[in-house]
Amino acid sequence: MTDAAKNSSFVYVTYIRTTPQKLWQALIEPEFTRQFWAATTQDCDWKVGSSWKLMIPDGRVGDAGEVLEIDPPQRLVLSWRNEFRPELRAEGFSRLTYLLEPQGEMVKLTVTHEMPHPGSQFIEKVSGGWPIILSSLKSLLETGESLEATRRWPEGV
Amino acid sequence: MSDKPKFVYVIYIASTPDKVWQALTDPDQTEKYWFGYRVNANGKVGAPFIARNPGGEDFDKGVILESDPPRRIACTWRPQHDNDRHERPSRVTFDLAPLRGQVRLTIVHDDFDEGSKAFESISRGWPAVLSSLKSYLETGRALEMSARDVDDKSCAAAAAEAGA
Repeated sequence: MTDAAKNSSFVYVTYIRTTPQKLWQALIEPEFTRQFWAATTQDCDWKVGSSWKLMIPDGRVGDAGEVLEIDPPQRLVLSWRNEFRPELRAEGFSRLTYLLEPQGEMVKLTVTHEMPHPGSQFIEKVSGGWPIILSSLKSLLETGESLEATRRWPEGV
Repeated sequence: MSDKPKFVYVIYIASTPDKVWQALTDPDQTEKYWFGYRVNANGKVGAPFIARNPGGEDFDKGVILESDPPRRIACTWRPQHDNDRHERPSRVTFDLAPLRGQVRLTIVHDDFDEGSKAFESISRGWPAVLSSLKSYLETGRALEMSARDVDDKSCAAAAAEAGA
């Protein structure tokens, strides 16, 4: 756990009936992210030091950063800054970690999103978004269909 | 802001509030996805909230504090393990809200004392149980997970707590 006095953090654990390879692919490849992550795609060549962008379907850059660590299909760490809301962009870079651990017929996925200052509005925002995105990812991998509410970018955002 | 431990988890399930409610309160269904535990939370406010572990042992888990089918249920939660049995009961609340063909299920587990061991256990247990619940409702098949699958040194305690 992070020190709550110095950091803001969000941690979410979900268990998905799939393999680490399939989950890794779903987290990265546009044909999957479009289905469970509000029609977004990621622009990145997935090497340490590569720039990373989360692209909104209308062409705007939603968030940007770079690949800090990558060890397929186990661990991916990104630096991550919001790019389309000035008040969130002003908070600077957060750190996002995906950890994939196989357990029998499942994978335990732990998503940790941290900001190195307390009271982060950015972390509050992503705390509201990750549960539906990750719920939809689990539905997609287990049933072949993502959750309906996550298939489009929300209007007016 | 209080520093007292509070666990919050939100999960979205492609289902209806009625089906999620049934799955949470009917022992014939909890047995399928909740580490084999039969949990009976179908009573009215003030009724006991009873669980039976896979060994067939019944125990008093707590009392139903609120019941508003299929929207909200709250219960007290009595720790059952050697390392936390001395702690006073905590409180767990489930809120179910329909959202465009899905259900948003929010679990808040709070009213712990600082440094609670039971809090550590439930924080590991709920993500596993709720992931299994979602798989059960969406695919008809719960996740095959045992105490050992909920990791950590005290995995058995975590799983038992989650299941209890």
